[in-house]
Amino acid sequence: MTNFEALLAALARNEVAFIVVGGAAAIAHGSARYTYDLDIVYERTALNMERLVSALAPYEPYLRGAPPGLPFFWDVRTLARGLNFTLVTSLGDIDLLGEIAGGGGYHDLLPNAVALEIFGSPCFALSISQLIRAKRAAGRPKDFEAIAELEAIQEERGE
Amino acid sequence: MEDSPDPIIEAYKKDIDRTLIRENLKLTVEERFRKAMAVARFADELRRAGREWRARRP
Repeated sequence: MTNFEALLAALARNEVAFIVVGGAAAIAHGSARYTYDLDIVYERTALNMERLVSALAPYEPYLRGAPPGLPFFWDVRTLARGLNFTLVTSLGDIDLLGEIAGGGGYHDLLPNAVALEIFGSPCFALSISQLIRAKRAAGRPKDFEAIAELEAIQEERGE
Repeated sequence: MEDSPDPIIEAYKKDIDRTLIRENLKLTVEERFRKAMAVARFADELRRAGREWRARRP
């Protein structure tokens, strides 16, 4: 099980610039669908990548689903060479995304993201409209039900 | 919300349990996460019990 509280605290403690996206952002808005991982879009600056590496290093990040023993080094160089990483850590699964379809990167998303405090940790999450746009852009059949629920949440809120 | 409803999404929307949404909207963001993690713990426990039962089967 992913420990959302501990992961968010680790990111906040290290002042990582990130936006919660995906199922966890949907939970924040009232979704009843469970998600197994924490998905974040992170700022791709050298300083922020250093902070992200420091934040997760104590929790032994490794490529999720990869065979054990690969020469995977959790450092800024690795992060800078890639864009999106699906990781398993001792706190649970976390997906680090440099950008998302239908939304772009951290600075594209930030102006419309919502500021939240979760378990005492300040963070940003995608707005419902941004989540819907991203899921529509992903175009996966499995997202249809998620989009329907997000739109139902908007209706229940009278938006 | 989108201006023109998507017929596929509208079809899915009919099956959404709005009582769950209404209950969640009464909670704080933190309470929503705690509830989600409690569901995950229960799901893990069910999986463990299932594995144990399968292992015991003759």
